[in-house]
This record gives sequence, C-alpha cells and structure tokens, in this order.
Amino acid sequence: MKTLRPQIMAWVIAAVLALLAAPYLLPPYQLRLVTEAVIFSLYAVSYNLLLGYAGLLSFGHAMFFGVGAFTTAVALNQIGGLSIMAAVGLATLATLLVGLVVGLLLLRVKGTPFALLTLAFNALFFAIGVKWHTVTGGDDGLNIALPKLNLGLAVLDPGNGPDIYYLTLIILGGALLFCWRFTRTAMGHSVLLLRENEERMRFLGYNTNITRLILFVFTGALAGLAGSFYTILNSFVSLDAVSIDMTTKVLLMTFLGGTGTFLGPVLGSFFYTYVQDFLSNLTDNWPLIMGVIFIVMVMFAPGGLSGLGQTLAARLARAKTTP
Amino acid sequence: MNDLAVFFLHGLAYAGLLFLVSSGLTLVFGMMNVLNFAHASFYMLGAYFALAIAQYTGSFWLTLVVAPLLLLVLGAVVERFLLRKVHVLGHVHELLLTFGLAYIIQEGVKWIWGNNPQAVSIGGFLASSVNLGGIVYPVYRLFIFALSAVLGLGMALVIYKTRIGIIVRAAVNDSAMVNALGINVPYVFMGVFAVGAALSGLAGATAGPLLGVFPGMAGAILVDAFVVIVVGGMGSLGGAVLASFIIGQLQSFGVLLFPNFSLALIYMLMALVLVLKPEGLFGEKS
Amino acid sequence: MGILRVTDLKKDFSGLKVLTGVEFEVGQREKVAIIGPNGAGKTTLFNIISGKFPPSSGEVAFKGENINALAPHARARRGMSRSFQITNLFQKLSVLDNVLAGVRSRRGLRHHLLREPLRDHELVGEAERILERVGLLGFRDTLVQELAYGQQRALELGVTLALKPDLILLDEPTAGMSRQETEEATNMIKRVTQDIACVIIEHDMNVVFSLADRIAVLHYGVILACDAPEAIRCDQRVKDAYLGEEGA
Repeated sequence: MKTLRPQIMAWVIAAVLALLAAPYLLPPYQLRLVTEAVIFSLYAVSYNLLLGYAGLLSFGHAMFFGVGAFTTAVALNQIGGLSIMAAVGLATLATLLVGLVVGLLLLRVKGTPFALLTLAFNALFFAIGVKWHTVTGGDDGLNIALPKLNLGLAVLDPGNGPDIYYLTLIILGGALLFCWRFTRTAMGHSVLLLRENEERMRFLGYNTNITRLILFVFTGALAGLAGSFYTILNSFVSLDAVSIDMTTKVLLMTFLGGTGTFLGPVLGSFFYTYVQDFLSNLTDNWPLIMGVIFIVMVMFAPGGLSGLGQTLAARLARAKTTP
Repeated sequence: MNDLAVFFLHGLAYAGLLFLVSSGLTLVFGMMNVLNFAHASFYMLGAYFALAIAQYTGSFWLTLVVAPLLLLVLGAVVERFLLRKVHVLGHVHELLLTFGLAYIIQEGVKWIWGNNPQAVSIGGFLASSVNLGGIVYPVYRLFIFALSAVLGLGMALVIYKTRIGIIVRAAVNDSAMVNALGINVPYVFMGVFAVGAALSGLAGATAGPLLGVFPGMAGAILVDAFVVIVVGGMGSLGGAVLASFIIGQLQSFGVLLFPNFSLALIYMLMALVLVLKPEGLFGEKS
Repeated sequence: MGILRVTDLKKDFSGLKVLTGVEFEVGQREKVAIIGPNGAGKTTLFNIISGKFPPSSGEVAFKGENINALAPHARARRGMSRSFQITNLFQKLSVLDNVLAGVRSRRGLRHHLLREPLRDHELVGEAERILERVGLLGFRDTLVQELAYGQQRALELGVTLALKPDLILLDEPTAGMSRQETEEATNMIKRVTQDIACVIIEHDMNVVFSLADRIAVLHYGVILACDAPEAIRCDQRVKDAYLGEEGA
C-alpha cells in the first residue's frame, strides 16, 4: 500500500503493453479468459478495499455483482434501443442504491455481526432472484441480444472477442486506475484509519459511520460495474452471479492474491481464472481443490501469493548480500 | 382452527431443529468469539452420515447415535488442528477458515453424494400419525420437537447445575480469567466446539427424513440460524430458545399467509431487531 | 465565561456509583489538573466529557452549549480534543499520516474523494510544523509501531494538537516515563499548550504543580476542593484525604 517502486512500475508498464497486444498474440479462447480475469480483477480489487484496506470482512459482495449483472441484462432486454453503455450506467446506479440501503441498515454493526449480516443479505438477494423468476429467468437464466456500440469513430461488436476485450480493458482498466487513485485521496487515507483504530478516529472528529457507508457504497458500485461486464461478456446471466458461490469466488481471488497490496487481488484473479480453467479440464471437482488451496493458504500463507513473493524476494536479497 | 394448530406444530418441529443448530453456534461464539460458518455444514454432514448409515445398516435409531458421535470427533479435530492454529493470525483469518471449511464440505458432499436430493426413510411408529384431539398429526415431527426439548433441558441442567457448566459460563464471560484460575481453557473450548458440532449433526440426522438430504441444506439453515443468534443475542442460550421459537413459527405461518414471501418476514424481523435493539433480545450491550 | 462547565455530574455503572455530583469549571486558556487516588473516577470523568459514554445525570457544557447528547466526533469538531492514557494511535501508519489524520479532520477533508493529502503542501506543511513542535520531524516517515515509548507519547500529544483545539483533555501524559523524560514532556506540554485550555489527569505531583493554574481534587466521586496549587497544598481536607498519604 506504499508508493509503487520503480521496479514494480516497470512490471506494470510491461503488463499493460502485453494486455494491449493480447488480441494479436492470443487465440480466441485464451483472449476470453483474459477478458474474464480483467473483469474479476475489478471485482477483487473493490473487495480488497473493504477487506485489506478497511479491515471489513464482508460475505455479501456478490449481491452487488449480481445486481449489476441482472440490471444490465434486464435493462437491455426490456428497454428497446438502449445502448450498452447506458445499461452499464443503469446497472452501476442500481448497485449504488442497493449499497446505500443495505449500508444504512448495517451502519451500526461491525466485526463478526457485519460478516454474518452481509452473508444474510447476500442470501436474501439470491432468494429474490429465485422468487422473481419472471424477471430474472430463475434457474434458466437470461439470454440477451447485445446491440452494437457506436462510438462515432468505430462501431464495436460486443459479440466479437477483441472488441469486447478492448472495451472491458479500457473501462475496467480505467476503474482500476480510479481505485488506485482512491487509495491516495483523503477518503482513501481515512479508510486506512478505519482499519487501524476506529475509536481514535471518532475522537479526531470523524463520523466513522459515514466513512464506512461511503466505502460500502463505493466498493459496491465497482462490483456492480464488474458484474455488468460479466453479463456483457457472456451475453447471458444466471443466478450464479448473485449466489454465495460468487462471493466465495471473490474471497478466494482476493485472498489468494494477497490482501496486503493493491495489485495482489489482480494477481489473484488471473491466478484463479487460469487455475480454474486448468483444473476444470481435469476434474469436475475443481472447487474442492480450490477450497483446499484456500484453507492451506489461510493457515500457512496469510499474505497470499504477493506476500509469498515478498518473503521470497527478501530471502533472495539476503542470500545475495551474505555469501 | 385445526389448520392453525397444525401450522403451529410444524413451526415447533422446525424451531427444535433450529435450536439444536443455533445453540452450539451461539455458545461457541460467546466463548471463542468465533462465528463458525461451517456450523451448518456439520448439520449437513450429520444428515449425509445418517443417510449412509441408514442405507448400510437399515437402522434409523442407530443413525441418531453414530452420526452425532462422528461429528463430535470431527468437531474436536477441526478445533484442535485448524481453528486453534489460525487463532494467532487474528479474527478475520478465523472467519475465513470456517468459511473455507464450509465451502470444502459443500463441495466434498457434492463430490461423494452428487447434487440430487436424497430421501431417508423411517419405519415403524415414527412414520405413523397420531390423533391429537381431532388433528391427525405425523409422529415424526412431534418426535423432533420432543428430542430437541429434552436436549435443551439437558443442556440447561448441565450449564446451570454442574461444575462444567459453571466453567463454560465463566469462559463465555471472561476466558482469560478462567485460564488464570488454572482451568485448561483450550480443552473447554474444544469440548464445547465438539459438542456443538455433535448437536448440529444430530439436528441434521433428524432433519434428513423430514426435509430431504441435499447439498443446499447447509446454506438453507445457516441463514436461519444466523437470524436466530442475531435476534436472540449473540452468545445467549435463552435468546436462542426464544428466537428459534419465533423464527420457527414465522417460517411456518409465513408459508400459510404469504406463500411467496415467507423469507421476507424473517428478514423484516431481523431488520427490526437491528434497528431497535442491535445487541439482540437477550444480548448484552457491547 | 468558562470554556467548559461540568454541573452535578453523576455516573453509576449498574449500581456502582463512580461519580456522585462532580462540579467544576475551566476558564479560557486555563489549565486545570484533576488529581485523586486510583478509582476516584478521573478516567470516567474524562470519558464522559469527551463523549465516550453519557452521564447518568448532570450536564457537560462546552462553550456555553450543553453537549450531553453529542457524539465524540461532534465534540471534536467543536474544538475539544483528547489524548489517551494508553497510547492510542494508528500503529501501522507513518508518523506523518497520524498527524495528517487530525489536520485533515480540522480542515474538513475527512472524506474528500479528489484531494490527495500527501501531495497537498499546505496540509503536509501544517502537519510538519506540528511534528516540529513535538520534536518528531525527524521521524516523519517512521511507522508508529517502530517508535520508542517516549516518542509515541509525544506523537499522542501531536495528534491531539492537530485539531487546533480550544480545549484539550490530557489523560496522564507522563505515565510510564522516566524522571528525565517526564521533565522534558512537561516542558513540551507547557510550550505547546500556551494558548489552549487544558484539563489534565496526572499522578505525578511535580508535573501537576508545574502545569496547573488550578487543581481539582476528585475523591470518591465528588470534587473535594478546587483551587490554586498553593491553596490546595495547604487545604486540610485534601491533606487528610489524599496528599497526606504521599507525605507532603
């Protein structure tokens, strides 16, 4: 969470260049995986602003992801002539509202009760999805026909791999940069104070309920944006998007990557996406293996992959200086 | 009138199950300050173990003994070798561990038994119905309520009348103090965790024949059990009794009154408690 | 008119009467020390004044306004700032970030979504001036958890000052310090609180007599006497109740 060091900056620039060139280098299937990993990166980074930065453990992040995903699908299906970007905007707005209402209800709860109640709310949203099957499509899900996006200079076809890839990369990449900047703003600093010592904050004039509410709404809207692109990428949405499993997914990605750094969750979502792809070709029980990896990491590598990397780098550096 | 009585009895049976699950959850939370997300998974495992035992031996009564014993051992192992290890890493890691465990159990159950719901059959007297002053009612639901009532009374006796109970209550209030008195608190923790798991497993074993055995059963009761401990007050056994009763009745009459929105009633109750009395009906203000 | 007035303040914790009718007043820029044996209710009094919990009855008035119903953050925004007996800082953040937390709050930049505090010369400058006053400018970028105990106490004072308060409540500012550290800390407190009203809880009588304009003696939930240091020294009731034990 400190300033990026030059070395890391070089890696980031190399990664951005590789991401830009990806459609020319990768076969369509691989490109799709990368697109998915970018979407999950935003989902995981937004989650880490809660977990890693503010120290708030939520088990309900999928309610935002799911509301974003379903609002996009329903808006595109029900409102004739709606452009994709307008649907994305509507979806983000809807998650803002959901975050505000749920956040206001949870204003006074912290710690374990907060974790418990976010899970309960996630279950509530899933149940609404099941009951309201006339709108959400229930177990069958919703197929959507994606309109082309006219940008003036070019027309993007969301059904085309490279087009949707670039659209995702630009908008969600922008959102990720916004998150990075967020961590450096006054609000971002206050989020860290929240994790360190909420009591002292209050005696310094902070209404910490407001701090938590803003953060909850903000991270929720980002997760909704990610959910919206998840729908567009698949041109389909199912109850899976709002399920507890989707919450578990973001938890695994964030934790596997490491909650101690900004980029950890990005690493985690790429790692998760590829390991899932690899494992699901081998066995139908890949979630079980993923769960075991998670437990082992919780017990033995609480800093996640980026934590392991830092430890390793420190050891190497020590080995170099002491012959 | 008879209908109302039937729904009331239905509510009692579910309240019994709910109490068996949430009593362990709330005691463990009160003592160790850990909310065990895998607690409902013990319930589900109890149901699946019972299913396997019933298929193998053909005896339903045996399942009610063996399944809880298996869960007792599993609970002890989980506490001793997993939970205690991550305790030093802090609260978030403890919650993450139990959450991960719930996920693994869920996926493990799907792997071994598949996704389809399975039925457990009970034979003999339990499968019959009795006439209660004009209402013909299935014996099995009465049995579930009677079982949980007996166990609840037993628990109350142990906790309020025995030396072990005094230690447990003291550990709920101040575990450091109890440790200083020379009592081995880790053993008390392990014991309570294991007994909680066994009770949850027993609830699962008895729920199987009534509600079916399926991989989603943990998630279904977990949320209800959470509502119970939020409404009753986290760490309060008396609160768990009252809240289980309320939620059992809400579930039952909710289906009668608002077939599509019975779940909403429970959430409305929870929201109401959160706004008016965030520490729960029997909870202590923090 | 005084800046703080406490009237007939009572507090009991489920039957245990800790404060049984505390009354005192603090004038503008006045330093009042509260002394009393352990268990006299000093910290409870502080917690009520700063808003950690409400009194059972009675009134706390700040700048002429009854603040009984105000949350701690609202009191802080009206110009009241407190330190803690046990160091209560943001351990894993830098010294600068700790002081900035106060500076940002005073300037209303608590939740600003655009301004970047570390790039804001005005904010950083103000924070650095405070660090200079408490002698920690050289440790600007050190994490709090890596500071020595005495330095953490100095930072505690710096964070309290960052709100530019009109009244500060200092809870045992020299607790746990060596004699030399205590002397340095006392001088620093004297220097940085020149224009600020203070209420100080302190056990060390040297510190009390060197800082206080008036001393209030809290004894079993009531103020036994509240007067200039010399008068307190001669007060027979106080001698009997408190100073006598320490062989004044």
